[in-house]
Amino acid sequence: MVIKMDAKTKKIAVFGVMMGLVVIATALSGCLKSGEKHTITIRGSTTVLPIAQKTAEAYMDKHPNVDISVSGGGSSVGIQSVGEGIADIGMASRDLKDEEKTRYPNLKPIVIAKDGIAIIVHPDNPVTNLTLEQIRGIYNGTYTNWKEVGGPDKEIVVINRDSASGTREFFWEHVMQKDDFVATALEKNSNGAVKQTVSQTPNAIGYVGLGYVDKSVKAVKIKKEGTEVEPTVENVLNGKYPIARSLYMITNGEPKGIVKDFIDFVLSEEGQRIVEEEGFVPIS
Amino acid sequence: MPFLIESFSFFYSSKRKYFKEIFIKGTLFVSAIFAIVVIFFIIFFLFKEGHPIFENIGLWNFLSGKEWNPTGDPPSYGAFSLILGTLLVTSGAMIISVPLGFGSAIFISEIAPPKIRSIIKSGVEILAGIPSVVYGFFGLTVLTDWLRVTFDKPSGECWLAGSILLGIMALPTIISVSEDAISSVPMEYKEASLSLGATKWQTISKVIVPSALSGITAAIILGIGRAIGETMAVMMVTGNAAIIPKPITNVFSPIRTITGTLGIEMGEVAYGSTHYHALFGLALILFAIVLIVNMIANVILGKLKEKHMPALKKKKRKMLSQKTMWRVKRSIYALCSLTLMWLLVVQFGIEISVLIISIILCCYLISKKISAKTSQRVAFGIVALSTIIVLFILGIILYYIIANGARALSWEFLSQYPLDSGRAGGIYPAIIGTLYLVGGAILIALPIGIGAAIYLTEYTKEGLLTKIIRTGIEALNGTPSIVFGLFGFAFLVLYLNLGVSLLAGQITLALMILPTIIRTTEESLKSVPQSMREASLALGATKWQTVRKVVLPPAMPGIITGTILSIGRAAGETAPIMFTAVVFSQRFLPTSPLEPVMALPYHLFVLTTSVPGAEQNAYGTALVLLLLVICLYIIAIMIRNHYRKMRKW
Repeated sequence: MVIKMDAKTKKIAVFGVMMGLVVIATALSGCLKSGEKHTITIRGSTTVLPIAQKTAEAYMDKHPNVDISVSGGGSSVGIQSVGEGIADIGMASRDLKDEEKTRYPNLKPIVIAKDGIAIIVHPDNPVTNLTLEQIRGIYNGTYTNWKEVGGPDKEIVVINRDSASGTREFFWEHVMQKDDFVATALEKNSNGAVKQTVSQTPNAIGYVGLGYVDKSVKAVKIKKEGTEVEPTVENVLNGKYPIARSLYMITNGEPKGIVKDFIDFVLSEEGQRIVEEEGFVPIS
Repeated sequence: MPFLIESFSFFYSSKRKYFKEIFIKGTLFVSAIFAIVVIFFIIFFLFKEGHPIFENIGLWNFLSGKEWNPTGDPPSYGAFSLILGTLLVTSGAMIISVPLGFGSAIFISEIAPPKIRSIIKSGVEILAGIPSVVYGFFGLTVLTDWLRVTFDKPSGECWLAGSILLGIMALPTIISVSEDAISSVPMEYKEASLSLGATKWQTISKVIVPSALSGITAAIILGIGRAIGETMAVMMVTGNAAIIPKPITNVFSPIRTITGTLGIEMGEVAYGSTHYHALFGLALILFAIVLIVNMIANVILGKLKEKHMPALKKKKRKMLSQKTMWRVKRSIYALCSLTLMWLLVVQFGIEISVLIISIILCCYLISKKISAKTSQRVAFGIVALSTIIVLFILGIILYYIIANGARALSWEFLSQYPLDSGRAGGIYPAIIGTLYLVGGAILIALPIGIGAAIYLTEYTKEGLLTKIIRTGIEALNGTPSIVFGLFGFAFLVLYLNLGVSLLAGQITLALMILPTIIRTTEESLKSVPQSMREASLALGATKWQTVRKVVLPPAMPGIITGTILSIGRAAGETAPIMFTAVVFSQRFLPTSPLEPVMALPYHLFVLTTSVPGAEQNAYGTALVLLLLVICLYIIAIMIRNHYRKMRKW
C-alpha cells in the first residue's frame, strides 16, 4: 500500500506554505524601518508594570530612537534579571531580601512611587468604616461574622494575597503586626483577582492597591482616634491614611546614560503626574 | 551501541542502502534520547534547587507537616495539605471528565453519522485551544458565582470548582486521543463481531473498546497529566487556602494545590531563600506523584490486556489456588464497597445513602433482566447525553468569550500597536509574536517527537530502555507549565545566555508539548496493522522505506491530532513564556530570534490582573487568541481529513 500525494493534498500543502509566507512577509515589513536605536529592558513586579509602561510610552514619544520594552514576571524575577544583567532596570514591590543583597551586592533600589492599600468590601455591604484593630481581627480569625464589626449576620469571606506578594508582606507588618493570617482565607495572586472576587461575593473583604478601587467594590474608611480617613491619594500624601508602601526601580550599580535619563524622567514632575494618573501615590 | 552490531546487511544488495538505514536509525535514536536528556536535565534542575529544603527541615517533616506558612514568623513548610489538595482536585476532575470524555469518544467514533462526527470533533478541539487564562477567568466570574448562588455558600471558590474546571480542561485530550484509538481499531474486528449476531453495543463494549484499551489508557494518563500540571486556571478558582477540607469529603471547602502554590508564589519569592527551595521541593513531589500515577496506570493496563488477550498471558506458576484468589478478590471488593458506603453516609446522612444504594441495586438488577436491544438503547442514550453535555459546556464558554470580546474587535484592534498600557490601541505585535512562538515550538518539537515515537515503536523491542523513556515522557507531561518556565529561565535565558528571547520561548514551549506529540504519534503508529509492515518488508522494502511509505501515511491523522492539541496548548500557555520570551509591550517587531516578543496569552494575563480599566481589551484579546487558534486548527484539520480519506482499511 504505497500512498502518493494526490493533487488535492499538494494543493493544500502549497496553500499552507503560502499562508506561512504571507504571515512572515507581513511580520518582516514591520521591522524594516529601524534606524539607530537604543533599547532599555525593564522587568519585574506586575504591580509596578503599569507605571513603567505609561512612563515608557511618554518617554518614547519624546525620544523616537529609544525602544523600551517592559515585562512582568514578579519582583524576584525583576531582581534576578537586573542582577544577572539581562535587564537594565528591575521593578519590585518589596524591599530587597538578605539573600538577594548578598548575591547581588551592587543593586541600587530607587523609590519611584507609593502604593496606598485600600480595604474593599462588596458595594451592598452596609459596613462603611473599620478600625485597624477590627481589620486585624478579621484577618487573624478573631472575627468571623460581620455582625461582630457592626454589619449583618453573615459569615465573613476573607480574601488574602499570596504569601509571596509584597502587598501582603506590607499588610502583615503594618496592619497585622506580624500576627498569623486565618488559615481559611482565600488567596489571590493579583490585585485584579482580589477585586474581581470581592465584587461578586457579597460577604467578602479584601485589600488592593488604590488604582483598583472602582464602582464594583466599596473602599472602607479607616477609623482612627475618632476620625474616619478615606483611602485617597491626597490622604496618603498628607500622611493621614496609614497604609501605604513603596515601589522600586532597581539598577545594577548607579544608573548611567540613557537608563539614568529614563529614571530621572520617571522621578520628574511629568513622570510623577503619570504615577498619579495610574492610581498610585507620587513620592513628592 | 546495539544497533550498530545488528547484522541485517544480507537483506541489502548495496552498501549505500545499508549505511543509509544505519544513519536513519541513529538519527531516530538520537531524537528518542533527546527526550530523555531533557527530562533528566529538568529532574536535575528541580533536584538541585529543591534538595536544600529536605536537608533543612527533613523530608518527612516536609511531606507530613500540615501547615504551609512560609512568610509567617517563624515560617512553616508543611506540604501535606497541598499534596492532598492536588490529589483531591485531580481525582475530582477525573471523576467528571473520564466518563464524559469516554462516552463522547464512543459517540463520535462509532455512533454519530460522519457529518455530525466531524462537527463535534472540531468542537472538542476548539475546547483544547481555549487558553488556560481564559478558563481561569471563566471559572472565576461564571463558575464560582454559579456555585455560590446555587448551593447558597458564602464563596464558590472551592475544591468542586477546581475539579469541574480541570475536568473540562482535560476533556479535549481524553476525547481526542481515545477517539483516535477507537477509530483505528481494524474494520475486520467489527465486521466479525457483527456477523456473529452481536448487537452494535455488544460489539462496541466487548470488541472495539477492549482492542483500543492501550490508546484509551494513554488518553486518560495524558488527561491526568494535563489536570495535575495546570497552573493558571486552577489557582483562580480553588480559593488557595492551604487547609485540609473538614470533613475530607467537603467539596465546598477551599483547597490549595501544589501547582497553585507554585503559580502564585514563584514570581515573588527571593532567589536562593528557604522559601524558594521549598517551592522546588514541591515541584519534585509533584513529579513523583505523576510518576506514581503513571506506574499504577501501567499496571492496570497490563492486567486489562491479560484479561482481554489471553494469548499474551505469560505462563506463570500459580502461587495461590483459584479458590483462594477468588476469596481474596471478594474480600477486596467488599472492603471497597464498605469504604464507599461509609463515605456516602458521612457525606449525605443515612437516609439518603440508603436511597442511593437501593437505586444502584435496582439499576443493577434491571440491567441483568433487559434484552440486548434495550440495553443498547440505554447505552446509546447515555453516550449521546455525555456528548451533549460536552457540547453544552463548550457552548457556554464560547458564548462567554464572544459576548464579552466582540465589542472590542475592530480592524484597528488587529492592526495597531497597544497604547495607554493596553487599554487603547491594538494587539498586532502580540498576534505576530504568538504566531512566531507557536510556529517555532512546533517546528522544533515535531521532528524530535515523531523521530522519538518512530524509534520507540518501530526500531526497538519493548524493554527496560523503552520503559524508562516512556515513564520519563509521561512524567514530563505532568510537569506543571510553570516549572518549564523556570527551567527555561534558569537554563536557556541565564545559563546558555540566550537572554529573554523568542528562541528561548520557542524551545521552552517545544519541551512542554513534546510529550503530547510523542505519545499521540506512538499510539497512531501502533494502530497500523502489523500485516502491512510484514507485506512491505516481504516485498523487499527496507525498514525505513516501510516506515516512510507504509506506516507513516496512515498514522498521519493521529499525528496531526497530537499536533493540534499541542498548538492549542502552546498558543494558550502563559507560564512557560512569562519568564523566557515575552515583554508586555514593544514598539518594534523582533528582527532576530534573540529579541523578545509580545504574546497574546501574556498580554491577556497582564491586562486582567495588573491593568485596572482594561477589561474590554482583555476580552477582545481572549477572543482574538481563540480565533487565531481556530484558524491554525482549520488548516491542520483539512490536512488530516485528506490523510484520513486515503486510509485503505
